[in-house]
Amino acid sequence: VTARSGARAALLVALAAIWSVAAYVLWESKVPAPLRLAHLDPHDYFTAAQLRASASFSSFNDWMWWGSTAAQVVGLAAYARYGVRWARESAAGPIGTGMLLGMLGFALVWAVQLPFGVAELWWQRRHHVSQVGYADYLFGNWFALGGQFVFLCLALAIVMGLARRLRRSWWALAAPAFVGLALLFAFITPYLTPVHRLHDQQLRALATRLEQKEGVGRVPVDVQAVHDVTSLPNAEAMGIGPSRRVVLWDTLLDGRFSTGELKIVLAHEIGHLARHHIWKDVGWYALFAFPGTFLLALAARRRGGMGEPAAIPLSLLVLVVLGLLALPLQNAISRHLEAEADWMSLRTTHDPRDATALFRRFVPTTLDEPDPSTLDYLLQENHPTIMQRIAMAKAYATSAAQSP
Amino acid sequence: VHEHPVKLIVEDDLRRNRWTVFFRLILAIPHLIWVLLFSIVIVFAAIANWIATLVRGTPPAGLHRFMCAYIRYLAHLDAYLWLVANPYPGFVGEEGEYPIDITLPGPAPQPRWKTFFRIFLALPAIVLSSALGGGGSISYSNGKRRSGGGGGALSLVVAVLGWFASLVRGSMPKGLRDAGAYSVGYSSQMLAYLLFVTERYPNADPTALLEGVGRPPEHPVRLVGDPHDLRRSRVTVFFRVLLALPHLVWLVLWAVAIVFAVIANWFVTLITGTPARPLHRFVAAWIRYRLHVYAFLYLVANPFPGFTGEAGTYPLDLVVPEPERQNRWKTFFRIPLAIPAVAVNSALGWALFLSAVYTWFVALARGSAPWGLRNLSAYALRYDAQTNAYLLLLTDRYPHASPLEGAPEPQHEFAEAAVA
Repeated sequence: VTARSGARAALLVALAAIWSVAAYVLWESKVPAPLRLAHLDPHDYFTAAQLRASASFSSFNDWMWWGSTAAQVVGLAAYARYGVRWARESAAGPIGTGMLLGMLGFALVWAVQLPFGVAELWWQRRHHVSQVGYADYLFGNWFALGGQFVFLCLALAIVMGLARRLRRSWWALAAPAFVGLALLFAFITPYLTPVHRLHDQQLRALATRLEQKEGVGRVPVDVQAVHDVTSLPNAEAMGIGPSRRVVLWDTLLDGRFSTGELKIVLAHEIGHLARHHIWKDVGWYALFAFPGTFLLALAARRRGGMGEPAAIPLSLLVLVVLGLLALPLQNAISRHLEAEADWMSLRTTHDPRDATALFRRFVPTTLDEPDPSTLDYLLQENHPTIMQRIAMAKAYATSAAQSP
Repeated sequence: VHEHPVKLIVEDDLRRNRWTVFFRLILAIPHLIWVLLFSIVIVFAAIANWIATLVRGTPPAGLHRFMCAYIRYLAHLDAYLWLVANPYPGFVGEEGEYPIDITLPGPAPQPRWKTFFRIFLALPAIVLSSALGGGGSISYSNGKRRSGGGGGALSLVVAVLGWFASLVRGSMPKGLRDAGAYSVGYSSQMLAYLLFVTERYPNADPTALLEGVGRPPEHPVRLVGDPHDLRRSRVTVFFRVLLALPHLVWLVLWAVAIVFAVIANWFVTLITGTPARPLHRFVAAWIRYRLHVYAFLYLVANPFPGFTGEAGTYPLDLVVPEPERQNRWKTFFRIPLAIPAVAVNSALGWALFLSAVYTWFVALARGSAPWGLRNLSAYALRYDAQTNAYLLLLTDRYPHASPLEGAPEPQHEFAEAAVA
């Protein structure tokens, strides 16, 4: 028994070492290691009214986030305790019954979070950030839940199918399967996003120059029409290999942002592609998937293993709790990648002035807090704070001035 | 379940006179004019009846008789128009003188609140009646309300198909006749409710409406299971459409393989005269699975179904025959031959959809499905399964449009006519 325990411990250490090496490789960044960001005072960059508005807006959203998260955990805890009763509503086999229990769990989460979602929508509409109607929100939410059900069933079919065949070691095959699915979704997402080509010739020429500078080859720049649902500006880089593209929300092109600021946005998104951030996202997902599925398998053993429908309600709770525990780490990783894209943008455009102007404009347009509390920063911020982004632009300007 | 006071009497012998069938619509013109005038008077009479019933609690005998005559007249006219009966009807709704007739109750006390809200309470029945067809459906044209002998999807399809069949054979197929009679019966119950003849809500149950009608011969593709389990879980009812989504996705993916399997089976059946057993089994499982999914989706059954279409795994199940010899002509021309059945199936689809919507509300409130709507939905699902089994070469027996489940021993009065 001792030898076996020793072998297990050695295996665990080896796996931890592999995990650490992989994490180290994925963490590698173009942002200079000694770069120190100055702590800036938001009052130097924003008016008192702007800071008050963003603090008020964010404060309500924070409460909604906490309320929604608490409701989700409490709802799923109750479901983990009593949800197995719904198994009698199934005439399907164990996997089908597991699917039903999984879907009902998601439905419960949807129901308990709905009031918070509606309240948040009310708040956003009140601040003219969202134009979505309440009926549209409810129906859209309803159909989105249907989409979640389909993917949940696929996931449960994989997990339960493997668990029934492999028993305890299902997670070792399920994790790669989920990584494969994540890769597939990363590839097909651009094809599922409704977009149109960017018509602005000046911006297209600018994007081409930035693509050449960052060495990413030809990447299409598309526009997604969102102006009828939100006024928030946003852009994203998506896809891998031939599906790579940059998508700008049309709210960025409504005249509120100057060409110089749009150049920063484009360079930032192209920076994501240049630094293979989508691949890195999948890599990080893989690093979390293995221990995550292992812990899930461990928890499910209390209910007979993941092959049994009775384990599904508990597994949903465990999954959500694990997700919440991993949230600070995942946000840190996301902020790290975003910071690198910001740095790539500064390095490509050599324009910290426009970058600063862009980040300053985000406060009145998104009502984001420029310097949120530490708790919000850890749990909710997946981008560097606006003050951090301005500080980086400032640091770049200083380093550029010092370099020969 | 108490018997509904409005009953359908079917004494039709299925025989049709080819000449009157050919000119049916033109022959009905005097009736169409008459029904329009009659309906205008009825609108005012109904308002008077509404007020009188509200005040007295019971409809006045004279107005009640007038309403009954109108309902019977519309039933006769609809039966004639939709080829559910053969003889030319009278103009005043004579009782007991037409092969498709309606018996109506005498004036009886009615709860005042039901009377007061009657038009709103009747709306679901009016919509369902419109989907099934028959008289009294209220339609809207250019924003103006019109009342009178309306047309429904099922009745219209029955009439068009019955017209061709009757011209060729000189008799109406029993399945189509029964479907048409059911539509007429339901519409009459709806009108009786709307016009304050009775306070009893229309009963959509085809087996109750066609109680005295002989059952058709047993079809090789038929429903089995416990129809009396009406319990419905409120949570799964509320999320029913979403819970069915994974099944619908799987159904579509499976259907892609079914297309190739059926093409292959078509060639096999044409050459050997009998479908290939593995392909037959594969297609049968898909049709059974489709029934399970639709029964779940449309609230005809309660539990979440499995994904394999395995026989005996679901409370509402399908019996599918083993591969048997099939007529090569019927096999070769299967798609065009199936078109009438597909048309009836589409018409029944509307009724099925409405039935599911109503059942959704009722099941959410009561935790159980209404028996009548359950049976209407089961009828639509059975016909859908039979149509698919025919189209996909599981059997060369044509789907039977009768709302009644087939009897093992022929009970119907005209066995030779029971083809369609």
